[in-house]
Formats: sequence, structure tokens, C-alpha cells
Amino acid sequence: MKKTIYILLFALVFSACDKGFDEININPTKPSQIDVRNKMTAVELFTSGRRYESWRANLIYSSTMMQHFATTAGYWAGDKYTWNRGYAASLIDAYTTSAVKNVEDMMLQLETEEAPKEMKAVTRILRVFIYHRLTDMYGDIPYSEAGKGVIEGILTPKYDAQSAIYADMLKELEQSAADLSTGDSGFGSADIMFQGDQGKWKRFANSMMLRLALRMIKVDPAGAKEWATKAINGGVMTSNDDIAYIQHTAGPEGINKNGNGEVFTVDGSPRMSDTFIGFLQDDPRLPILAWRRGDHSTDPADLKGLPNGLDLTMLKELTGEENTDAYAEPNRSIITGEDAPMFFQTYAEAEFMLAEAGVRWGLAGDPEEHYNNGVRAAMKMLELYTPDAAISDAAIDTYLAAHPYDSANAIEQINTQYWIATFLNEYETFANWRRVGYPRLTPINYPGNVTNGTIPRRLTYPSSEESNNAENLAAAIAAQGPDELTTRVWWDTPGGSE
Amino acid sequence: MTQKVLRLLFLIGIFSIQSFYAQTTVTGKITDALDGEPLPGVNVIVKGTSHGVSSDFDGNYSISLEDSNVVLVFSFIGYSDKEVSVNGQSLINVKMEQSTEALDEVVVTALGIKKETKALGYSLTELKGDEMAKIPETNAINALQGKVAGVNITQNATGAAGSSRVVIRGASSLTGNNQPLYVVDGIPISNENNGSAGMWGGSDGGDGISSINSQDIASISVLKGGAASALYGSRASNGVIIVTTKTGKGQEGFGVEYNTSYTFDKVDTSLQDFQTSYGQGRRGAKPSSQEEAFDMGLSSWGPKLDGSGVVQWDGEIRPYSYVGSNVNRFYRTGSTFINTLALSNSKENLTYRFSATDLDNEDVMPNSGVNRKTFNVSVNSKMAEKLTSTVNAQYIIEKANNRPRLSDAPGNANYTVAMLSPNVDVRTMKPGTNSDGSERRYSSNVYSQNPYFAAYNFRNEDTKNRIIANTTLKYDITDWLYIMGRAGIDHYTIKKTSVEPWGTAYKPLGSIRETEIRYSQVDMDAMLGYNDQFVDDKFGISAFVGVNSNSIESESLHLNGSNFIVPGLEDIANTENQSRSRGYSMRKIGSVYGSAEFSWDNFAYLTITGRNDWFSTLSYPGKTTPNDDFYPSVNGSLVLSELFDMGNAVNFLKLRGGWSEVAGGADAAYQLALTYQIFGQGHLGQPTGDITNGSVPNANLIPYSKTETEIGIDGRLFSNRLNFDVAYYTNRTDNDIVPVSASEWSGYGSALANIGVVENKGVEVLLSGKPILTDNFYWNTSFNYAYNDGKVVSTNETGSDIGLGSARSRNVEIKQIVGEDFGSIVGVSYVRDDAGSIVYDIDGDGVPLAQRGPRKILGVGVAPTQWGWANTFSFKNFNLYMLIDGKMGGQIFSGTNTNLYGNGLHKETLNGREGGLEVTGIDAATGSSFTTVVAPENLSTYYGRISSIAEEFVSDADYIKFRQLSIGYSLPGSLLDNIFLEKVDLSFIATNLFYIQRSVDNIDPESAYNVGNAQGLEYFGVPATKSYGFSLNVKF
Repeated sequence: MKKTIYILLFALVFSACDKGFDEININPTKPSQIDVRNKMTAVELFTSGRRYESWRANLIYSSTMMQHFATTAGYWAGDKYTWNRGYAASLIDAYTTSAVKNVEDMMLQLETEEAPKEMKAVTRILRVFIYHRLTDMYGDIPYSEAGKGVIEGILTPKYDAQSAIYADMLKELEQSAADLSTGDSGFGSADIMFQGDQGKWKRFANSMMLRLALRMIKVDPAGAKEWATKAINGGVMTSNDDIAYIQHTAGPEGINKNGNGEVFTVDGSPRMSDTFIGFLQDDPRLPILAWRRGDHSTDPADLKGLPNGLDLTMLKELTGEENTDAYAEPNRSIITGEDAPMFFQTYAEAEFMLAEAGVRWGLAGDPEEHYNNGVRAAMKMLELYTPDAAISDAAIDTYLAAHPYDSANAIEQINTQYWIATFLNEYETFANWRRVGYPRLTPINYPGNVTNGTIPRRLTYPSSEESNNAENLAAAIAAQGPDELTTRVWWDTPGGSE
Repeated sequence: MTQKVLRLLFLIGIFSIQSFYAQTTVTGKITDALDGEPLPGVNVIVKGTSHGVSSDFDGNYSISLEDSNVVLVFSFIGYSDKEVSVNGQSLINVKMEQSTEALDEVVVTALGIKKETKALGYSLTELKGDEMAKIPETNAINALQGKVAGVNITQNATGAAGSSRVVIRGASSLTGNNQPLYVVDGIPISNENNGSAGMWGGSDGGDGISSINSQDIASISVLKGGAASALYGSRASNGVIIVTTKTGKGQEGFGVEYNTSYTFDKVDTSLQDFQTSYGQGRRGAKPSSQEEAFDMGLSSWGPKLDGSGVVQWDGEIRPYSYVGSNVNRFYRTGSTFINTLALSNSKENLTYRFSATDLDNEDVMPNSGVNRKTFNVSVNSKMAEKLTSTVNAQYIIEKANNRPRLSDAPGNANYTVAMLSPNVDVRTMKPGTNSDGSERRYSSNVYSQNPYFAAYNFRNEDTKNRIIANTTLKYDITDWLYIMGRAGIDHYTIKKTSVEPWGTAYKPLGSIRETEIRYSQVDMDAMLGYNDQFVDDKFGISAFVGVNSNSIESESLHLNGSNFIVPGLEDIANTENQSRSRGYSMRKIGSVYGSAEFSWDNFAYLTITGRNDWFSTLSYPGKTTPNDDFYPSVNGSLVLSELFDMGNAVNFLKLRGGWSEVAGGADAAYQLALTYQIFGQGHLGQPTGDITNGSVPNANLIPYSKTETEIGIDGRLFSNRLNFDVAYYTNRTDNDIVPVSASEWSGYGSALANIGVVENKGVEVLLSGKPILTDNFYWNTSFNYAYNDGKVVSTNETGSDIGLGSARSRNVEIKQIVGEDFGSIVGVSYVRDDAGSIVYDIDGDGVPLAQRGPRKILGVGVAPTQWGWANTFSFKNFNLYMLIDGKMGGQIFSGTNTNLYGNGLHKETLNGREGGLEVTGIDAATGSSFTTVVAPENLSTYYGRISSIAEEFVSDADYIKFRQLSIGYSLPGSLLDNIFLEKVDLSFIATNLFYIQRSVDNIDPESAYNVGNAQGLEYFGVPATKSYGFSLNVKF
């Protein structure tokens, strides 16, 4: 009898061996889902970029290759066309595990929750922005299968051809813009770029479409024209109120800060390139963008640019200088703050693109007017850094009078202004320069450079792909060409129309 | 004190008065002649009759006699019968000798079950408490080093309060925890690391087992293999170490015991042999100004020391001559002072023991040390005829101050002190602060700290309050059936503060981190046991079934602040940027287990066990794959010496064998599903959220399984004068949890999967004997040897390497490579031509620079072979104990030697200082051989390149060490007869006396900076110490 009781007792305990275990293993500190708006805020910040890739891909490589900056510091690999694989891959390293991963997750959530089409449209536009920055920098990349490690269990995504990525991105922009009208998209203030304003997103989508269209000018002129037409008809940015940018704050944490600003806080090595200073002569932007390293003078006469491609030994041989204190650096009272705005795309760029579309295809009206609007907007938008950076209309008029629209050299003139206006958004500077070739930059030829003294045409893939995604990487390299700085991406065909 | 003594005498008085009243009854206590432990269940029979009783669980017996002129026969299994004539005595205490015929020793096995060793089908080593406490250690588990075959203990260079790595029979998991489960009085306890150093520095926060006080340990059972530990199921893969704490048993009445030990710890400077003849400088030149001296920092590429006046980092001009050992000047003589007072009492139906211990350690690192107070209570009582209860509780308060920083240079005083030039006296850097409280910098390198600033101004302190308690209730339903319940808890809180002060060179505004950790493990068992004998008592069954519930809850709170606003005020509120975070985890295992032992006529034994574990960590709503697993084992033994008559030479001979399947891993909560977080503090008032997981969660993860087969033989020969025990085992871990590589484009770094495979096989040998055994003198000797061959069979789906960790020099790392030994050291090698000659680049100055080649396997971080040899000599009241141990076959990368080359402090770098260094090799440019002379001023370039080649700095880590020595004297009983003292032992003790043999230069061969899986990397840990002192044990 007693035995039976004990056996029953044990049976009871036995059946309770995993009672409540399902609930125990649900993490009480981490939600299993969050509001998609919280993700939007984060993904916009991830896309704006953090110190890691802003330092390496944007500044160390792109800004120096584009001769906005120059430096004698050896690790600024872009200044000397040397190859630092880690730096070169930094944009992929940073984006894949933040912006790419979470934007794909947002897409799934919006689909699952049957969210309004406006919210989907906004997310799709942001998604295109993320991938266009990546593909412009690297060429063929995983696109259709990227960021889907959990969603579809894809651990080794295939690389898509850039041509296919472009086709899909343009379609995405077209459809998204069509889904937007006016009023709040549903994201409201969580959308820290446009506070949910559908109209601004729509104009951003069309401006992006115009950007992508012009990218194809060498490889597919007809397609470029077709998409430019669609973009212009859809309506691009119309004033500096439409600028796509993130307002950063100086803290409390790294994510809140402007990634470039964080670099300037710790890295004193970049100087203004003498190429850039050369183009900024009699430009009212010069004392706003630059000051002299040694004494912070903003007198244009004191602002001397440093030639690219020199190390300290070479500088000493050339000038006898022991250091670079006499050269101009970014003006640390205005543009280098951790609370500075980070521009994704500006109204000035839109105007310059319209001007070019006018020149090339007679689209969008008078190119001269667009050129003037562009220059004016590019100067005015510096107010977004600080009201102290305001440039008077009179100064702008003076500048335009001295640099009037020149229809004979319109493409070069427009794109040189584009090159100035995208200062600090060096990803865009680099991409636009590669497609159009202006301004004409003289390459350097530092001893030991890996490009045979030519300006690089792309950055390279992470070496981790060799072990973690070998087959797909090999297929991409077979299709695109060697994984080198000199390999051209699909739209960057040599000798295409300019 | 006097009061205590009076009380003691009073009690003794009462005891002796009591005995006068037992005229018709004989009483007494039966104890083991060897260790004085009481023997319960001893049969006491009047010779020639069937009249008898048996002793109770305290060894006491009471027998009523009609005739006081009879002979009592005392008999007990495993002991020789003893006959005593009563002759009118009323009190007869009996000491029983263990039988030399058979080994009937009883040991503690899994779940606290006591078993005779002859019934064991597996290897189990039990150490008694006095062996553990003979030479007290700050971390009691270190006392096992060199004593147990197959248990690999590495103390490493983590400071006196640091962790130890304990691995039994080789590591079973490629990346998981490989340390054993610790069970104290039946309750599993936490052995979690409270922080450890890595490639980028950090400090060792100590481990869980170090809380256990060696003076409170009655015995330690090491369950090495799966067959021994199978009843712990999913937590048994790394073996189990069972600690049983002392009780009041064995005490006659009230007793007081006092132990004290005091040891001095000194840095063993004999290990270091640096060059002392060339001073601070660069390219053969002395510093010519303060700025230059400041800029040169730790560079010892100056000219030969000549005694001239040369400016130093602080602008002072001092003689350019060797100043002596900075190590001796900076590190202090440490000390460890341990005091234990234990009170115990044993009454009818009740025994108890209370102890209090204070351990106070001052580490050799200035301002660093640990204080641990332990209070221990144990109560055993017989509450009713069939009901016994046990309560054990320990309360531990541990305070550690300034746990030293290790590895990378920032904040690491060890780095600076080791690297100072021979002409720079470390004491010139004292104090470490300027008048404003900022760091008094000695060098332009902000990442190399003034050592006094690092020691006195960096803060790294913690307080741990811990309680480990359990209670057991056992009820004997019948004489063949019992039920037992046991519940226990291990609970602690840790409060940590670490501060990089305002004014730190590399972090001028400083930072602070406050952490609070709360941990609770609750474990409950219920068991139903059955023992019976059949067939003329020849066939025995001993079986039990049980259920267990184990839950572990932990929580951590972190406050981080950076940029102090008011200098010197180190408070979280006084910072510009603040952030906070909280971690939480809860996991449970529910289990059912059972064991059945069948025995036949004392010579054949077979035990079958099984356990089924259910895991909360494998449960999730909607999950369809199982959340449980079953772990069986079988083992048996055959006592050949009982079966055959083997003559007088063989007293005991047993063959044994076992097979088991156990498991490990999958013990982290919340790994099955994707989670999100709201992170940071939002942006412009908007919360920010994203995916938490860095690796793809795997809903189908299971614990890895480990199967092991072992066989063994043990025997006792020549009247127990020679004993041996040999074990051979082979085990294999399948389904090890490894990170499967994922393209970063997937959004994740990796995915966890059950696909790793590890194999170990090895031999363990124990030989012990008593070569000399006379009345006045005996010599006990014991030698143990273990060899383990651990192989990585499979890593992940592509067979790619798994990295475990790199050294700060970044030219060497520890990796798991398919087909290689567990934990290969892989590093940058020389480029050599086909003939093996080193290939050089020749630079513009004509300096040959050895070419850095690909990474190669340069060694293995864990020594496969280890042995220990202990000897005890006893002459009258004196005894001498010594332990020598060794490890062989492993290698270590020396970060110290790497930096000694780079800075020109290594003796090798003396070659060529005068007249240049002739180098012969292959010129990479031409492919032909060259010979050139490197000018003295270019040596730093030449040796600097060598310092980047890891191959040069991976050496054998073999050693033979004189580990322990104790010389003791026991006051003779004749001296104690007239005073209140029962026993007085005084010993001189010493540990880590010296290396008898050592392969690597300048460092301790066991000086990795953490106790994780990446063993074999040395990088500026706390230098090795040697200790001398005394201990005193007094019993009242």
C-alpha cells in the first residue's frame, strides 16, 4: 500500500518535470517584437552611419580619393591608394549587421502586421538608399538574399549583379513613390528624417530615382533618360526643407552622434586637399568649411591646402615643413561637430541633376536656372550646421556673378558644384565622380600604391567572405572581375558617354 | 579563552562522572584506528553467544552484560575483528584496524551516495580534508594540483584572488565551458568567472569554487569519467568534484580546534633573466633631453651603461648605470594569514560543528588583495528512531581590492615594471599622480601607465556575499527501504566598482562602472532507496530512484559613466555621459534518475544508472523537437582476489570497466528565438530598437553528448605496502555546439549548430607505497601520472578553424583545427627556403628583416602529460611532506619575451651591440644567400622585426616544479597529558619553491592571463610567486 503511494508520488513529480518550461525560456527583458517605429528610428541612425565606417570607408578612403581631404598619416589609405582590406570593407561590415539586417526585418514585420502601404513605401525607400550606397561602393553584392539569416535561414546569400539590383531598386522607388501622397505616413516623429511627411518621402524617392538614373548614363543612356524622365515627372526636392538628413546630437551615446563628427573628435590628421581649396577660391563657403590647423585662422589668404599622396618625409623634402600645422583642416567650430547634421541627399544635388538632365536631354527646363538654384541651395544649407554659417544672398550673388553658368562646359561645371556640395557625404562624391569624371582629378602616385597610380574605382569585399561565403564570392568575382580597388562596377564602364 | 577552557574541563568532568553510573553496562566508542572517524554499524557480540548490539551512527555502543568477565568481539566489514576482555571495565573504546585482506574503503560517489570502492566500476579519487588543508591555499582547489591523476589544474598569472582552470580527462567542448561541476554537500554550486582578462586587457574576478574554505573540507571526491558522474546527466560531461564539508562526527564531546597559518609571498625573480648592461635610448644613443627621454619610454636600445649622468623622463639627471631589479622594488612581500576556529560537539543523537575562518591576503601587487570570511555550521541529528536530518550552511563574505589588470598594457602595472630600462628605477615614478591628481606620465605612450598610478589610482574592487546551504531529511521506512529529501541553495550577490580615474593618460576624463550581480541556484532531490540481500545474503541489490529540480536565476545591473565632471570624485552621478543596463536569466532542469547495483558474494558488482533531464533552455512555445534527453551508464567490477586465491603477495586485485553517455552545453537561456531590444536612450525623444541576436538562433539546439568507455585495474600487494591503480579511457563528444560560419551579409555573425566532434583518450596511473614502515619511522610515497590525447575531429560544416582568442601582439592565436590537438597555438612564422634558411628583406639601411610568413601551428596550449610525486616521511613526532609535479608536451607563447625583443631588454638582443651583428640568410630579392653585419644602431630594427614573428616566442612549457614542502612537529602526548590541549601540530610550509626544470626563459610556464579555452598565451600577468610560512593546529 505504502509502496503504491510512493510510486504515485514519483509519477506525479515525473509528470511535472518540465512544467512551465515554455514560459521560463521566454526572455523577460527582451521583447519578442517591438513597434516598427522604434526600428525606423534606429535604422535611420544606422544608415546615417557610425564612427566605424564613417572613419574608414567615408573619410579615410573616399574623401581622400576624391581630394576633399589630404593627409600625411600613413593609415589614411585612400590618400595613397594603398590597400587596407579591413578599412575597405568597413561599410559592408557596419551596414550588414545593422541597417541591412533590421530594414529587412522591418519589411517582414510590416508585411506580417499588414501595415498601411505608406509605411511600407517609406521603409522601401530607406531600404533602397541603404543598398544603393552599398552597391555603388562595391558593385555586385547580395541583395535579394541579404539580411535574411533568420527570416529565410540564408546564411550564405548569393551576390546579385548590380544591373539587376539597379533594376529592382528603380522599380521599388517607382512603386513606393506611387503609394505616397501627403500627410503622415504612420511613422510620425519616429521618422527622425521627415517626421512622417509623405510628401517629403515622395520627393526623396524621386530624387533618389534621378540619382540612380544618372548613375547609368555610361552603361545604359536610354534607361538613364527613361528613369530620369519618370523621376522628374514624379517631382524631386523643391527646397532646402526637402533635404534628406538626420539631425544628430552630441550624445549621450555613440549611436546619437554624427559618425564623421566622432572621427574628427579623435583624429586630427585630415587636412583640406589643395585640390579642394583650389576650387573654393573666392567661394564664401571656404571660411565655413575650413580653418588653419595651427591658429584657426579662417582668412582665405591663410587657407592653404595640402597636396594628396604625401607622407611627412616627402613633405619635409618638398617644403622643409616638420608638420602640417600650416595647412587648412575642416573648420572645427562649424562642420565637425558630433551634433552635426548628416546629409543623405540634398536639394542642391537635385537641382544640379535637373540641370544635367536639361543639358543632356532637354528635360526639366532651363539648366542655368537649376544651376543657380543648386549653387544657392548648397550655400544656404550650411545654415543647418549652425546659424553662424549663414551665407548672405549678396555673397551668393557675387559668387554666381563670378561663376556664371557656362553652357559650353555645363556638365563639368555642374558636377564640380555637385562635388563641392557633397563634401563629407563622400560615398556620393565618389560615386558621382566615377560616373561623370568631373572635376578632373589628378591621381597621385605614392610609392607602393596598389592601383598603378590611378584613382580607385571601388572598394573591396570583406576577407571573411572568403571563408564564410566562398562559392558565392567566387561567382561574383568571376562575373565582375578581380576583387581589387581598380575593378569597375557595372555602371562605371570605361570610356562611356560623359 | 580561560572561560572556554574552564567550560571544557567542566564538560569533561561531567562526562567522566556519568560513567560511574553504568555499572551493569559496557559502553564505548568505536573509531577507525587510522583517521579517528567513528564507525557506525559495528557488530558487538559477546563471544560464544548470539547476544549483541551494533554501534550507532556516531560509533557509540552500549551493551548490557550479566557477567563482566566475558570477551567482546567487534566486527565490521573491511576491518579486522577485534576481541577485548571486559574484566570489569565499563568503558571500552575501540580502535579498529582496516583489514589488509581487502580494500573495503567507503567513498562518496555521485549524489552523495557512499559506496565501497570495490563495487566501483570506474576511477574515483578521494582526498581527505587534511590533505587539502595541509598547505592552505587562497583558492582551495589548487591543493589538488599534482595530486590526482587526470585532473589538470592551471593556476595561471591571474593574481592571488584569481581563478584556476580545472579540466578532467581533457576538454570535451571546442568552445564551451570545460570545467567540472562542483557539488558541495549534495548541492551543485556556481563556479562562474566573475570577469577575466582577454586580448585587450582586463582583470580576473575570481571563480566560484574559491569561496570554499579548505579548513572546512572533510573530503573531496573527484568523479573523473562519465561512468562515475553519469547520475548528474546533462551536467556531467566535464566530470564532477564533490566536496563534503566537516561535521562534528569523530569528536568526543565538546571540542575546540584552532588553525592558523601565515605565509609570505614573494615574486620569484629567479625566473627573469634580462639584460642589465644597456640603458634607455634609441639607435645606440642616450636621451639628450627630458623630452627625448619621455619620448623613448621603454626603449632600451641605448649605449652600454657607463655611469655618466643622463637625463631621465622626469628631467632629473641620474647615473647611467644598472639600478637593480625593479621587480623587487615595485612588488611587495605579500602575505596570506588564515585563522580558523572550529567548535564541535557530539552528543547522543546530535552532532554539530561551527567554524569561522578569516583569510587575509595581501597580494604581491601593491594595494591588491582579498579578504574572505567564512562561517560554517553543520548539524546532524537523529530526530526520531528512523528519522535523521542534516543541515549545512556556509556564509562567505569576500572583499577583493584592486584586482590587477593583465594582458594588454593600459592600466597594467606588470607591463611597465617588466619593461623599464635597466637604468630607470621604478621608484622615481612614485607617487603615480601629479598635484592635480592626474597620472604622472613617464612616457609619451598614453597606453603604458605609471605603475603606481595603475596600482593605487585605478580601482577594481568587489564584494561578494554568498550563502551555500542545504538540508537533508532521511527516513528509514523499513530496514530495506528509505526515503530521502534534500534541498539546497547557492546564493550570492556581487557588488563591483571599477574606475579608470580622472587624469588617466589614455582617458583624460576617466570613467566608472558599477555592477551588481545576483545569482541563485536552488536544487532539490527526492530519493527512494532500497537495499536487500538474497540467497544466503550472497546476492545483494542496492537501488534508488529519485527526482531532481534545479533552477538558476541570475541578474546583473550595470551603471556606466564616463567623463568625470569634478575631478577626483568617483561617483556615477559625477559623470557627463551615463548609461545603464540590466541582464536577467532564468533556467531550470527537471530530472528523474535511478540506479541499481547488483552484487554477488563480495566479488562481482554491476551498476546500471539512468537519468532523464528536461531543459527549460530547450523549451519554447510551439517548439516540436524534444526538450529532454536520456543519459545511461553501466559499470561493473570483478574482485579477482576474492575469486581466486592469489597467495600472500596479492591482498587485493580488481578489474573494472564502465560505459556512459553524458552531456553538456545548451545551458544558456533564451537562445532559441529572436529577441529585440530598446537600446540606448533614444534619439530626439524617439526610442530606438533593433534585433538583439548577433547569431542566428537555433530552435533545435540540443546539449552535446559525450560517450566514454573506461577500463581499469587496481590492486594492493605485499600487505598493502604497494598499491597501484591504472585506468584507460576513451571518450568522444558528438554534437558539440559550434558556431557555423555565416556570411556577414546574412545579418548575423554565425549560427549555432550541433556538429562539433572532440575525442580524448588517455591513461592514468597511480602508484603508492610504504617502502619503510617501522614503529618510529615510515615513508609514504605516491606517484601519479596522466596522459591525455585530445583531438579535434570536426569543427563545423566546412571544417574551418574556430578561433578561441588572440594575444595582444596579434601575431598568434589559439585555434581549434580539424585533425589537430585541442587548442593549437597558431602564429606568424619565419619564411624559410627549401633548405630551411630564414629569408630576409633588406631595407634601405641594409638591415636584413626576417620575412613574416604565413600562420602556422606552432604548438599546443595544453600539456598532454602531467605527473605528481608526493612523499611523506615521519619520524617520531616529526614529519616531512614534499610534492614535486610536472607537465610536459605543451607550449606557450610568451608576450613578455616578444616585448623584451622589441624593447632591447632580452639577453639575446645583446648580440651585436658592440661591433654589430653578423646575419646570414637568404635575400628575398635575389633568392641567394647573403651575410651582412647589422650596425649596432640598426639592431632595434632588426630585433623589432623578429619580435613580430610569433614562431620565435613559442617555447615548450615543460616544467618540473618543487610545488610543496611541509616540515611538521607534533607535540608528544606525554607533554599534553597534564594540560588541556589534546593535540598541537606546528609546521613550516612552503609552496612553489623552485623549478627543477623549465624550458621557457623569463616567464613562468604556467602564466596564461585567463582560465578560458584559449590556453597557451602569456602576456604580462602577475609574476609568479613563491611562499614560505608556518601553520599551527591546536586541538582542545
